[in-house]
Amino acid sequence: MITVQHLAKRFRLSRQQRRTLGARGDTLQAVDDLSFTAKPGRIFALLGPNGAGKTTALRMIATLLRPDAGQIHVAGVDALADPVGARRRLGFLTGSTKLYERLTADEIVRYYAALAGVSEADYRRRRDALFGALGIDAFAGRRVGKLSTGMQQKVSIARTIIHDPDVIVFDEATSGLDVIAARAIIQFIRQCRSDGKTVLFSTHIMSEVSMLADDLAIVYGGKLLYQGAFADFTAASGQRSLEDEFIRHVEMAEVAEAAAGARP
Amino acid sequence: MSLPSPFMAVLRKELLDTLRDRRTLIAMIAVPLLVTPMLMIGTARYAQSRAQEAREKVIRVAVVDPRDDTGLADHLDAQPGVEVELTKDVVALPARIAAEELDAAVLVDETFQREVAALHPGGLSLLFKSSDDFDQQKKRLTAALTSFEQKLLDRRFASIGLASDVVHAVRVQEHDVASPREQLGKLIGGLLPYMFILFCFTGSMYPAIDLAAGEKERGTLETLLTAPVRRLTLVLGKFAVVTLTGVVSALIAMLGLYVSVAYGIEGVPPELLSAIGQVLEPATIAAVFALLVPLSMFFAGVLLMLSVYARSYKEAVSIISPMTILVLVPAVIALIPGTKLTAVTAVVPVLNVSLATRELVAGTAEGGLIALVFASLGALAGLSLWACTRWFAREDIVFRS
Repeated sequence: MITVQHLAKRFRLSRQQRRTLGARGDTLQAVDDLSFTAKPGRIFALLGPNGAGKTTALRMIATLLRPDAGQIHVAGVDALADPVGARRRLGFLTGSTKLYERLTADEIVRYYAALAGVSEADYRRRRDALFGALGIDAFAGRRVGKLSTGMQQKVSIARTIIHDPDVIVFDEATSGLDVIAARAIIQFIRQCRSDGKTVLFSTHIMSEVSMLADDLAIVYGGKLLYQGAFADFTAASGQRSLEDEFIRHVEMAEVAEAAAGARP
Repeated sequence: MSLPSPFMAVLRKELLDTLRDRRTLIAMIAVPLLVTPMLMIGTARYAQSRAQEAREKVIRVAVVDPRDDTGLADHLDAQPGVEVELTKDVVALPARIAAEELDAAVLVDETFQREVAALHPGGLSLLFKSSDDFDQQKKRLTAALTSFEQKLLDRRFASIGLASDVVHAVRVQEHDVASPREQLGKLIGGLLPYMFILFCFTGSMYPAIDLAAGEKERGTLETLLTAPVRRLTLVLGKFAVVTLTGVVSALIAMLGLYVSVAYGIEGVPPELLSAIGQVLEPATIAAVFALLVPLSMFFAGVLLMLSVYARSYKEAVSIISPMTILVLVPAVIALIPGTKLTAVTAVVPVLNVSLATRELVAGTAEGGLIALVFASLGALAGLSLWACTRWFAREDIVFRS
């Protein structure tokens, strides 16, 4: 399970970032009082436009960034008090995840198993199962730099779960991938749910949400706009498509924001 | 075979990754092992051949002796490798020398014989075109003119019934009590650290850039930081590999230097080789190596810190490359005569290593000062590791974009 309560994160902006983002102040509130819960055996989709704060929120859950306020629990471990313990229960995969090109698939997976403190026996068992299921055996001894994107993505998956985490976080994991590589990720996410893992994934691709999500949260401007079961969300949207319903929530937030700004 | 501990896993992986990187291999092994000896041997052989050429070259000298009565032309002609041309055309001489038709010309004053007879100095003018090439030839010509003067002096003293050494009231005999090891040590002991400090730095530069800025640019650092391992363990593993590459690179450079001096350069006198052998005894090498380790640790901490700060590999190269000059400045200061290892210089990084190496190689090191060098290097190495760990923990540095 992942429990996030009142999470907040503000970034200091460089002059160049201020120019690029068109921001007025020196800081940017990337995540603002965000709370949600992702449960085991279910897929939780974090939905939002670019710059909504999805990646920042996921990076805080993965303990890459430290929140300014709030609490995070990963499989019952307080991620702020024990970040290493939280990471031991968590696997993190992004679309931009890169691997060491000069190492072989075998060397990379073994390296991450050693970092996680996996025993030799557990490593052997998991490696054999994962490599067999993902079809990595055929290229396990080849350097990653020589592999296709699809093959590299399979190695990334093996690397992510070699320590058998309870919680798996995907940050736009299919972004920039070809159809075959993206399909491998989709299948893997489904497999994680079947295995009883807690799955949290962020995306802005609506078709992926329709295919995978059990629960859904929409974030915009770092704030939570909606949280609930995916079935409830689609039921409430009536005849509107998922995309239309998502845009409706975002536009309502924009109107509320503009009204708040206009108030004396 | 069981899985290694997280620290050993980082160490092994970084070492493997580094050794498979062609750029690092070139900087760490190929350059110090091949390029340095090749440059040294090539330069030495070229210098030797040029010096030999200059020694063997026949000097064409025009002599203008208005009365043909000084005997200078005959004296010069008798010198080996000197070809004399007697001439009266003084005006054409500068142009002929400038055109390198002649190497030099000696003009005898009209009053030369009269002045010599009156026990005054006779006047000679030497015309030449200064250049690097002429330096060796000028020395030979000046020696010939000095021997001509000595001949006249001998004659002058004989005419007044005195021995020619009557002009010397004091005879100084020099006795250098420095052992050959000390003499050589002061010479190569200054150059040795210059070489190994440079290679220690350049050898660890590329791995440091690759293991921090390179990882950042390739997107592998973020993945690594999500692994359930303490950040200190990751930094220590990287730090150990960068330190190791610096030490190995410096050792390879010293090996290359020794091999090129001992076997590559012809004409090195056997007594000099024997003295080099004495200088490079195991105890000295061990002491120099002991200095090298904390120095390399200091470099590793600083380099990793700057590397993780950089947004990309390219930016790290542009930040770190100019530091090579910064590192070499103290090494060059150590070569300035009079610069000694004192309580003050013993705590100046790089300079202290240069001076301590010189003292160790010469066998004149003071235990207290060497201990101070080790203490200051150890403190600096610790400080750089601490600062490096702090920077790796800062998200505004690690995720700087």
